[in-house]
Parts: sequence; structure tokens; C-alpha cells
Amino acid sequence: MKRWIAILAVIAIAAVLPLLLSPTGYWIRVLTFTLLFAAMAQVWNIIGGLANQTSLGHAAFFGIGAYTSTILVLKFGISPWIGMFAGGFLGGIAALIIAVPTMRLQGHYFALATLAFGEVMRVIANVWTSLTGGPVGLSVPFVPPSIAAYSFKQLLPHAYIALIALIIVTVIFEAIRRSAMGYRLRAIKENPAAAEVIGIDTTKVKLQTAVISGVLMAMLGTLYAQVAVFFDPDTVFSAASISIRVALIAILGGVGTAIGPILGALFIIPVEELMNDLFSSGAAGLSQLIFGVILIAVILWRPRGFITVFDSLMARFSNKARS
Amino acid sequence: MSKTTSHRGGLSRRSLLAGTASLLASPMIVSSARAQAKPVNIGVIMPLSGANAQFGINSRNGIELVADEINAAGGIKALGGAKINLIVADATSTPTTAGTVAQRLITQNEVTAILGAFASSLTIAISEVTERRDIPLLTMSFADQITGRGFKNIFQIVAKASALGKAQLDYTLAIARASGAKIDKIAIMYEDTAYGTAQAAGLRAAAKAANIDIAMDDAYPLGITDTTPLINKLRASGAQAVFPVSYLNDSLLLIRTMRQQRITIPAIGGAAGYVIPDFEKGLGEFAENVLSIAPANYDLAPDLTERFRKRFGYFMVHEALEHAVALDVLVQAIEKAKSAKAEDVTMALRGAKFTGGWTKAMTGGAVEFDSTGLNTLSVPVMAQWRNKELVTVWPKDVAKGTAVWKS
Repeated sequence: MKRWIAILAVIAIAAVLPLLLSPTGYWIRVLTFTLLFAAMAQVWNIIGGLANQTSLGHAAFFGIGAYTSTILVLKFGISPWIGMFAGGFLGGIAALIIAVPTMRLQGHYFALATLAFGEVMRVIANVWTSLTGGPVGLSVPFVPPSIAAYSFKQLLPHAYIALIALIIVTVIFEAIRRSAMGYRLRAIKENPAAAEVIGIDTTKVKLQTAVISGVLMAMLGTLYAQVAVFFDPDTVFSAASISIRVALIAILGGVGTAIGPILGALFIIPVEELMNDLFSSGAAGLSQLIFGVILIAVILWRPRGFITVFDSLMARFSNKARS
Repeated sequence: MSKTTSHRGGLSRRSLLAGTASLLASPMIVSSARAQAKPVNIGVIMPLSGANAQFGINSRNGIELVADEINAAGGIKALGGAKINLIVADATSTPTTAGTVAQRLITQNEVTAILGAFASSLTIAISEVTERRDIPLLTMSFADQITGRGFKNIFQIVAKASALGKAQLDYTLAIARASGAKIDKIAIMYEDTAYGTAQAAGLRAAAKAANIDIAMDDAYPLGITDTTPLINKLRASGAQAVFPVSYLNDSLLLIRTMRQQRITIPAIGGAAGYVIPDFEKGLGEFAENVLSIAPANYDLAPDLTERFRKRFGYFMVHEALEHAVALDVLVQAIEKAKSAKAEDVTMALRGAKFTGGWTKAMTGGAVEFDSTGLNTLSVPVMAQWRNKELVTVWPKDVAKGTAVWKS
């Protein structure tokens, strides 16, 4: 019961926060991207945390979603809301195609295979100029603002959409974790051979998580495209700024927990922005260097993620409440 | 933000929080101190890290040179000698970050205008933000899309990529003809970025119009590490001239491999990596006589560009030069509008002709924007490496030397 009150309180704070920021301002943009990256890291967490398959190719699904909805609106005038589901469908198929041959791979081999898949998608988007616009990228057209057309003059609605998306994917993550599927995944994570012996179809379970993760990641790609308005193959299929970053956010926050990716995103995105704000007018590249040093320091301080800080704080509070 | 941090903090961590708070507040303190002199804030967004950092730094140097000169000469006269305050920010190499940075400069620093951001994809991302907030954006990025989308607040100071590609071919044909050579077969190699593909498209169209056979037409990924297959293909193609379009590292690799394999056909680069000092530094004697198209060249106005060399120790590369012109034009527009309000400045920029000052360094000797925001007076030039310097060799009316053509 207490737990639910705490969760509702956090959601309430998150719901009020965007209202305190200027609706056309800078911090609301940062907040929107923070929420989006938290959601993306949560989706990654489904396969990376629960199935213990470190994917470094989630940009592939993400980019498919961004491109699908944007191409549909550009060529056929179809609302990005519908495009989002079309993208999700294609993202799911892509996840299936990539998962079938790679799911048998473990650890580094799986990571490298998925990394290559993201890169393949980037090259395809670069070359298939007639469909994707090639390396020049695509601009989401500015249509008269309306909810149905997923077009807003201000960033405020985008911040709320990102918040709702984060809540939805977090609920999905938690539901999977607590379901029978979650138990199967944990069994596979602990000992794949033993899981097979007790009758778990490990390949099938892993495939299911991969497809769920792919579908959701592609749908988030649409949200990203609507906020960023312009993107090119290097942006949405980027290994460094999408694939590795979402993995980093989840790992820094705490892999396999629902709160981890949220804590990770709340740290990484604003700190990265702040470093750019404070140091990028000085020596070239200084801001990224400082950001890198901070990341290293944080990982050395909390190798198991921010979740450990969070847990010890929680423990302290409940102890105090009892005494 | 800093306030809430310090209120919420516990006693034991007071000093730490105070430190954090002052760090967070420092940009605000700085800006309020400057506000007393009522300076005009101008945003400069450049790739200061990543693959294009050197170009970003060159651009920033050009802008700083002009800003310091104007400030030293008494600032902006129409605004009572207001100083120019440059807000420099790193666009990194991600368009989304560039957009976020633009949003920050507009809301936090209340910039009058933004200059940037060298790479076309970054500029396009920034323009999506500036267009929605009605802030003028002045750029020297080449991509055709920049002024091809009907935006009202964007100003492109140089000719478009397609025009550059066309000039790259047409000038070459003219230079070859002038030295008695004939070209009927060429090779095109370009990196698969926005800039590379757009310029290659211009080259291709011009070659078709001139009835020239394209014996090789290959895209390659940015950051290629082995160009031997490309060069082998080039040798087999029998082309009489090669048109590589690339940033720095690829250009070094391509030309070096070519010359080492004794392929001596003329190479006509597509600006970017071919017209910066590092090209000559990296290639030494192999750089001699390499031609390149460029939107502008420093030897057309040595009285202006030598000031850059004196301060930074290398010749004024074209991106520095064009950004210097962009800032000069912007300040002229502010003087004309007698206002630092973004919409007034945009009005003053649109459809106006700017002369004098740094605009003399551009081909056409002035800057005039059409209704799309394109500078219609800018004509590309052909430059050639001669003894560590770039000499303008075409078009004839502005040339400072005669092209060396060895086929």
C-alpha cells in the first residue's frame, strides 16, 4: 500500500514538473529527451536486463520507427500516431529477423552481432535515397497543430507524451518481470542448461522478449522524430548516440530493475547538457572530456548502478520510520 | 534551479551544495554582469568535438576575429556602441544535440542571431529550431535543402552544393581547354554524407550536360581506412581527371594512395578537406598542383585575410572567411535595423544588399540574399595548391594565377 502511494507521488511530481518550465524553453526540451531516453533504456532493459542479452543494436529498431512514421506522413500524409504502430510492426519483424540467428549467441558475440545489425540499417538508410532521402536526412513536415496530426507548437505536449510513454514501458517491464515469463527469463539468466532441462523453451522466451523490445523501441523512434523534427541516418541508427547510450543509461542506473533506467537517464542526459552549457565555449571538446571523466568516476563509485544508492536511501528511510 | 538545490540540502552537506549552487549559478552571474553594457548576444554553434572539430575551430576563429575587431572599433554604433558578445557552443556531431544547443542559446542567452554550424546536417537541425522561434540563422553550409525548404529565417552565404559540383566540373573543363587538353572521361568519388552526395549530384548533372563519360562513380563511407580498391578501380577506369569529394582524412588517404601508385591525372577536390593547411601538411609534395573548388579563397582579399594569418598563424581557410563575412553582414543588418531584436534583424537581412567590410572577400564583392535566403552573388572559385599556398586560378576575371594542368 505504502509502495503505491510512493509511486503515485513520483508520478504526480513528474506530471507537475513540465508545467513549471517555460513551454518553449530549453529545459523542457532537455526534460523531454530525458524522459524519452529513460523510456528507451527501459525498453532495452527488457532484453538487456531480463533476458540478459546485451544488445548494442537497438538503434536499428529505433531508426525503423523514426523513418516509418516520417516517411508515411511525408509521402501519404498519414498521422504519426498511425505511423507509430506501423513502425512498431516493422520493428517487431526486424527484431524477429535479427533474433532468430543471433539468439543462440551469448555475451560478447551477441553484442557484436547486434552492433553490426544497427550499422547495416544505417548503410541501407544512407543508400536507399529514393525512400529515406539518403544521407541528407528527413525533416518532419510542420502541419497545423492538432493532437490528431501529432503536431504541437510547444514542447509541453511532447514532454507529457514522453512521460506517458515512460510510464507505459515501465509498467510493461514490471509486468513481464513478475509474470511467468519473467521467472523463465530469470531461470535462463541463472543457468540456461538447467532451464532447458526443467522444460523451458529458452529460444522461444528469448524471441518473445526480443520482439517486444523491438516493437516498443520502434514506437519510441516515432516520438523522438516528432520532437527532434529533423534526423539523418547517422542520428537514429547511431551506435554511439543511441545503441550504446541506452545500454549505458540502463547499466549506469541498474540493469534489470524498473527504476534503474529512469535514474540513469535522469543523471546522464541533464549532466551531459550541463557540461555542454558550462564548458563548450572553452577549449574544443572539453565538455565531452569532463562528461567522460564524470561517467568513469560514477561507475567506479557505484559499479552496480545508481539503484544501489537508491536502495540504501530507501533502507535508511524505512529504518528511521520504524525507530 | 540552483535555489531549490540549496534549500533542499541538509546541513552536513552545506558546503558541497553551496559549491554546486555557485557553479550552476555562474553563467547567470556572468550574463547579468554583462547586461549592464547591453551587449548584443550572438550564438555560435560549431562542431567543436568529433570528426569535424577542426572545421568548427577554424570557423570560430574567423568569427572571433571579426567580433574583436568590431568591438575594438567601438561596437555597434546604432545601438550606442553595444559590444558583440559571442556565445560559443559545441554542436558535437549529432543533429539533435545541435538543435538542443540552439534552443538553449535562444532561451537562456536570448541571442539575436545564430551563426553555424559548418556541417549541413547540423545546420538543418538548428534551422528547425530557429525557424519556429523566428531567429535568423546565417550559415556557410552547402546543402541545397538549407534554402530549399521555404524557411524565412535562414541565410546561406555561399553557393549551394549543386552549384559547387557543377562549377567543379565546368571550371575544370575550361582550365583543361585553356591549356590545350581535352577531357571526355572522368571519375567521381565521394563520401556518403549530405555534403558528398549533394555535390556529387551536381558534378554528375554537369558531366551529363557537357556530354562527358563518367567512367567511375563511387560513394564510400566517411572515415574509410583503405582506399586501395577505389584507386585500383580508378586506374582501370581510364579517367583523365578525378573528382574526389571528402573531408580531411579521406582526402589525405585518397591523394596519397593515388600518387604513390603513380596515378598522375589531375585531381580536383570538392572543397572541405582539400582547402585547409592540414591537407598540405599531411601530403607534402603530393599536394602540389592539386586543384579544388571552393566557395571563396583568401587570396582574393589579402588585406583582410592576412589579419587572420597574423593572429592564428595559418591562412584564412574558406569556412573562417565565410563565417567572418556572415558576422559582418549580420552586424551591418543590426546597424541598419537600429535594433538587436531578432525579427527586425531578419527584416533587414532579407532581400538587402551588403557591401564593404568583409563582404569584399567574397566573389561578387558583396552579399545579397534572395527571397529564399541564398546569397545570389556568390560564385565558386577554383584554387590550386602552389608551394604551400592556395592560388585562385579560375574564373579568369578573379584569378590570381594561371592553372597548371598536367595530364
